[in-house]
Amino acid sequence: MSHLFEFNGAEGKGYSQPSPIMDVSKLKLPGSMRRESLPRWPRVSEPEMVRHYTWLSKRNFGIDTGFYPLGSCTMKHNPRVNEAIAQMPGIANIHPHQPESHLQGLLSIYHEMQEMLAICAGMDAVTLQPVAGAQGEFTAIRCFQEYFRKTGQTQRTKVIVPDSAHGTNPASASMCGFEIIEIPSSADGRLDLDALRAVVGEDTAAMMITNPNTLGIFEADVVEASQIIHDAGGLMYYDGANFNAILGWTNPGLMGFDAVHYNLHKTFSQPHGGGGPGSGPIGVKAHLAEFLPSPIVGKREIESEDEHLYAVDDCWYTWQTPESTIGKVQQWHGNAGAVVRCWAYYRRYGRDLKTMSEHAVLNANYLRHAILTKAEEAGVTHMFVEGAPINVCKHEFTISMSPAKESMGISAMDVAKGLLDMGYMAPTVYFPQIVPECLMIEPTETESKETLDEFATNFIKVLQTDAEALHESPTTTPVRRVDEVYAARNLILRYEMD
Amino acid sequence: MSSIFLEKNYFLFYRVLLFKHIDYDLPISSRVALGVSGDVMVDQLPNLGREKEMLEAMGMKEIADLFSDLPKEVVMDQELPLPAPQSEEEILHDARRLLGGNVPLEQRTSFLGAGLYQNFVPSAIFQLITRGEFLTSYTPYQPEVSQGMLQSMWEFQTLISELVELPIANLSMYDGSTAAAEALTTAVRVLNRKAEQKDTVYVSRLVPPDRMSVIYNYTQGAEIKIEYIEHNQDGSINMDSLEKARGSCGIYVEYPNALGIIDEGMKQVKEIIGDVTAFIIGATPLALGLIEAPGKFGADIVVGEGQAFGSPITGGGPIYGFFAVTKPFLRQMPGRIVGKSIDVDGNEAFCLTLSTREQHIRRQRATSNICSNETLIALMGAMHMALLGPEGLEKLAYRNLAAMQMLKDKLSAVENISIPHGDSFHFNEFVIELPKSASSCITELDEFGVIAGMDMAAWGLNENWLLVTCTDQTTEVDIEEFVDILSAWANDELEVLQ
Repeated sequence: MSHLFEFNGAEGKGYSQPSPIMDVSKLKLPGSMRRESLPRWPRVSEPEMVRHYTWLSKRNFGIDTGFYPLGSCTMKHNPRVNEAIAQMPGIANIHPHQPESHLQGLLSIYHEMQEMLAICAGMDAVTLQPVAGAQGEFTAIRCFQEYFRKTGQTQRTKVIVPDSAHGTNPASASMCGFEIIEIPSSADGRLDLDALRAVVGEDTAAMMITNPNTLGIFEADVVEASQIIHDAGGLMYYDGANFNAILGWTNPGLMGFDAVHYNLHKTFSQPHGGGGPGSGPIGVKAHLAEFLPSPIVGKREIESEDEHLYAVDDCWYTWQTPESTIGKVQQWHGNAGAVVRCWAYYRRYGRDLKTMSEHAVLNANYLRHAILTKAEEAGVTHMFVEGAPINVCKHEFTISMSPAKESMGISAMDVAKGLLDMGYMAPTVYFPQIVPECLMIEPTETESKETLDEFATNFIKVLQTDAEALHESPTTTPVRRVDEVYAARNLILRYEMD
Repeated sequence: MSSIFLEKNYFLFYRVLLFKHIDYDLPISSRVALGVSGDVMVDQLPNLGREKEMLEAMGMKEIADLFSDLPKEVVMDQELPLPAPQSEEEILHDARRLLGGNVPLEQRTSFLGAGLYQNFVPSAIFQLITRGEFLTSYTPYQPEVSQGMLQSMWEFQTLISELVELPIANLSMYDGSTAAAEALTTAVRVLNRKAEQKDTVYVSRLVPPDRMSVIYNYTQGAEIKIEYIEHNQDGSINMDSLEKARGSCGIYVEYPNALGIIDEGMKQVKEIIGDVTAFIIGATPLALGLIEAPGKFGADIVVGEGQAFGSPITGGGPIYGFFAVTKPFLRQMPGRIVGKSIDVDGNEAFCLTLSTREQHIRRQRATSNICSNETLIALMGAMHMALLGPEGLEKLAYRNLAAMQMLKDKLSAVENISIPHGDSFHFNEFVIELPKSASSCITELDEFGVIAGMDMAAWGLNENWLLVTCTDQTTEVDIEEFVDILSAWANDELEVLQ
């Protein structure tokens, strides 16, 4: 059976549970509000349910299944000790409104993570509350907004983003009520300072930049861009999606940024879980710290015998409310389970997080070089590696299938589907939008040299495949090319019962 | 002023301070790590020790060559001031020590809920979601190799749709609060043109402040005006106050409300507010096993905290919000949606659909900035709902109701404690009025191993009000113990128990 709703055991079974502790006939419910008919959920036994989801899992591709070079997503190995720790009762079964004395271990980990993240990004204060990168962006822009309101600069209504930015950047700023000014990248895919100068002014609130950018290129002009924005009275926002490339080598503070978000599910290995959960803490410079969401973990001396009993370190941790806080962006304390996993991850590397970034960049450059070399050896000329003649990329790089499309009718999507048949996850396709027929490749630091060599060889094989055959791919996957137009036209968004 | 913001006063020295004090200021646990050799992350980096070979293949000499594109002024001149790397064993040791310092709910007799509930989660769920194919996959952009997660989420959409009796659901929001907030912005986008009260929504006065803060942060950017719906002494909606909402873009009320009250007036709401105004309900999903599904009495959008299905409380995250709508709201709703389609061979296949609402396509004109969501936790929810089945859901709801009813019956006989909304119908929780402050009750009962509940002063209500919660995990023994201790406390006889 392939659908959950086709499991239909005998009525009245349901999962075995103890009986209610009172006779249900004595329970009080408003007669007028009684549910007339129960939801038509399946009636499935545990063996059937376990087999159903095991079958489904086999129709899904994860990092554990194979190489996952999905650009911009940092699909690194997720160490399993992190999962073991996240299932400990001291994190799984705690309530955010328990007294501080019950949560000293969690607060200790939060405090250490706040400090660690501040150090890594060159920021002064950190909140762990945002639960996704996009929510981190939103939170930081809200802080900017309150900063401008407090300092009487409400005329600052515009946020500048390069055209290579992630879609979340303009979406997040727009949700806060800002107008978006998109500036074109220069021909080589980098920041165009002239284009920037042309749009800054008294109405500039902020600029949002990813560095290295979405082409995997380090924006060498970033300091000057910061200068231009700061001179105009605006603030600089660092999208931390690509933070994996630079840890320990440079940081957003040195580049002149006022705020940054971290994607704990990218850089710090929170598993992506098929689309979430994530965690998107933000760090800010001191002038923005008073606006951060509440609460943040601080510490003080231990003050009583009782506290000695509960303390896990030689200090007492407390939840604290920033002076001019924007309040809450998630109702509780963020994705605590993700924070704990990422704490375990950072402890694995400690000060050698720098080595982690070095290997991410080493692997990206090695793979890029291997693909180029093998292409040359095979006489494959119908691809471009980004727009710019660069010596080194950072953690990812882009390839344009534009020449292949023109000369042979092979699109970026065709290559992606061909790679699926080779047993790989496809790279990110058609992003950034400024690269035509774009493939965006990010190997991460947790892939071996052999995997990279083999991928390069197979990548070239795909490019040498006959276009007709490639249009047919994939053929070895659980289903073949899916008709997305059909889905959008028919909108079958749930199982229809008879 | 909190200590983290006292540090702000030393901002100029902050970096210096961090560098200087890091060795003694990080938690004790990391001091353990300082003695470690520093090469233990070798188990995470397959190319460690092979850097030279890989660099030479590219015609490079050293790792620094990979970072030659960084301008000198942004290169860090010091190593990261972090502890040395730790081995898996050491991390586990520290995690046990720190998280073991927390007090998990099962170690106490707990009556704390207030939006997050300590429910039983079947063991199969924890086993299944650690399957790497689910755990380590990304958002299913390549449907051919992501059918498992896509179908699971399509089934999740169906389960939620059946539960609330609305035709469409997305595959999760961050939590109940952001789901509520984005429901309001969705309503304004859809109905503002027709509404007489432009850009205006009405929200129940009983929505807790933390959730309200999230709603404010998400709606202020669109300049949405928030008015309030008042409640009567017994906690029910004041219908005169509701009249004022007629002609606005939408109202948000909770069912049962935050004080656990099932309001019999809910069935009249849609008639009073009229067709132009969206009826948005924040539902406690487990209660829907017994009380009427919102879709049956005119709800346009139903949202809520899904946590009780499938997810431990985890300190408040990761959990998941659910979001269901009627057809008119479909194209303006936030979040990912899975649709059923076919592949090129005509076989059933699933893919993400209606992406043109989303940030990666629509950028600043997207319906939301949400990208990462809570897919894996929603998957846990789907598994739990599947195992329960219709009758299992009803029984589970009865168990929660029965425990609450037993506590309510017993407490109503205790001298010096009253139940302010005693004549109303409740689910999971209700408010009791104490002779002294709820905060002193919580502190003093803590010494007896009892977590008494949620202090309603935190919600701006009476400081002698305590919200007490029961779930399917509350036993008769728990209730008797609690009633004895609480009764003694309320009558100044605690020392007798000691």
